[in-house]
Amino acid sequence: MKITQIAGFLGCGKTTLVLKLSRQLAGDNERKVALVVNEIGEIPVDGKVIEESGMLVKDIGGGCICCEVAATFAKTIYRIYKDFSPDHILVEPTGVAVPHQVKLAARMGGRDAKISMGPAIVLFDATRPAELLDMEMLGQLVTTQVKDADIIAISKVDAVDDAAVGDSSQRVRAYNAKAEILNLSSFTGLGIDQLVDRILDWKE
Amino acid sequence: MDETVKDDHGCYTEHGVSGYGIAAKLSRKEAMNDAFVKNMAEIMMLSIAQKCIELGARCIGHIKSHLKTEAGTIKADTIGVSHGSFSTGNLTHPVNTLYIAINSIVQGIPEDAVKAATLEGMHEVADQRGLSVVKEKEHTYFDEFDFVASKKDYIKQLEDQLAGGSTSDTDEGE
Repeated sequence: MKITQIAGFLGCGKTTLVLKLSRQLAGDNERKVALVVNEIGEIPVDGKVIEESGMLVKDIGGGCICCEVAATFAKTIYRIYKDFSPDHILVEPTGVAVPHQVKLAARMGGRDAKISMGPAIVLFDATRPAELLDMEMLGQLVTTQVKDADIIAISKVDAVDDAAVGDSSQRVRAYNAKAEILNLSSFTGLGIDQLVDRILDWKE
Repeated sequence: MDETVKDDHGCYTEHGVSGYGIAAKLSRKEAMNDAFVKNMAEIMMLSIAQKCIELGARCIGHIKSHLKTEAGTIKADTIGVSHGSFSTGNLTHPVNTLYIAINSIVQGIPEDAVKAATLEGMHEVADQRGLSVVKEKEHTYFDEFDFVASKKDYIKQLEDQLAGGSTSDTDEGE
């Protein structure tokens, strides 16, 4: 069972990607995929959206899975493993979660389960790079997310021009020299095949 | 490997991020088609975002909504007034009643302010369009119902959920 997180700041397009990615990853019943969604703000709107797609989704509320409800997250991972034994779990943490802490929490859940970690995919919203990075408090969070990424997906590239996409890529590269950077549009489907391949091929 | 995960306040509080959620039942005497509902939801999201900014928010994380009706589901959201608002979904026929869940996540203002902006935005836009807020309940999970249940059953589940500990229960338009 491979656990892959789709992280990134609020509003960057995580839920839309998770929906499309999960369908593509599942293929024609080739693989079993389960989803774990975590939201702050108490109302799990994203979970409802995904649930209506017919996917198996576990919704964790009451706090952030990278800290406040890490133990609940770990138990959920184990329960999914025992009850459903999927090939893949896609985790959508809150938009303020720190990817390396999500990984730690997932590993806690995997102590008694056969799990491997997939890549930490972090989305970076090409429509508002300055808004995300140039603010004192927020910037620290977003740069931490970018630094923790194994793969950075520049999202919503269909909504901006090539120069803006290049600008976002340059900005995130300054914080993470190693991660693969790719362009993503959940609207047009650009980049989704690549992400599926990366998840399938990923070795810790 | 150090697997210690801190278990105090949420990481988001360190970054000045606050969230507020509410579920409500809205009703209107004249039936609403999907264009009406989508437009209302989009304007509502922008109104909440604008009010958050006016209260001092530095960044809108997202304002999201999920509107459930007997004729289908509409989703609407915004990441800020300048980014516009978007909606998806459709209704198979006009409806008089809808159930809305709103989730507002904002940076730079406390939860009380996010709450004030969310409630004010919801009530204001509903009122402008002739909808009554029949019931509302904050921090409701709004998910203890089954989407594969019959229309009658899921409405009962929504009603049961809103019935417990309502923030308000005006029963207007019932």
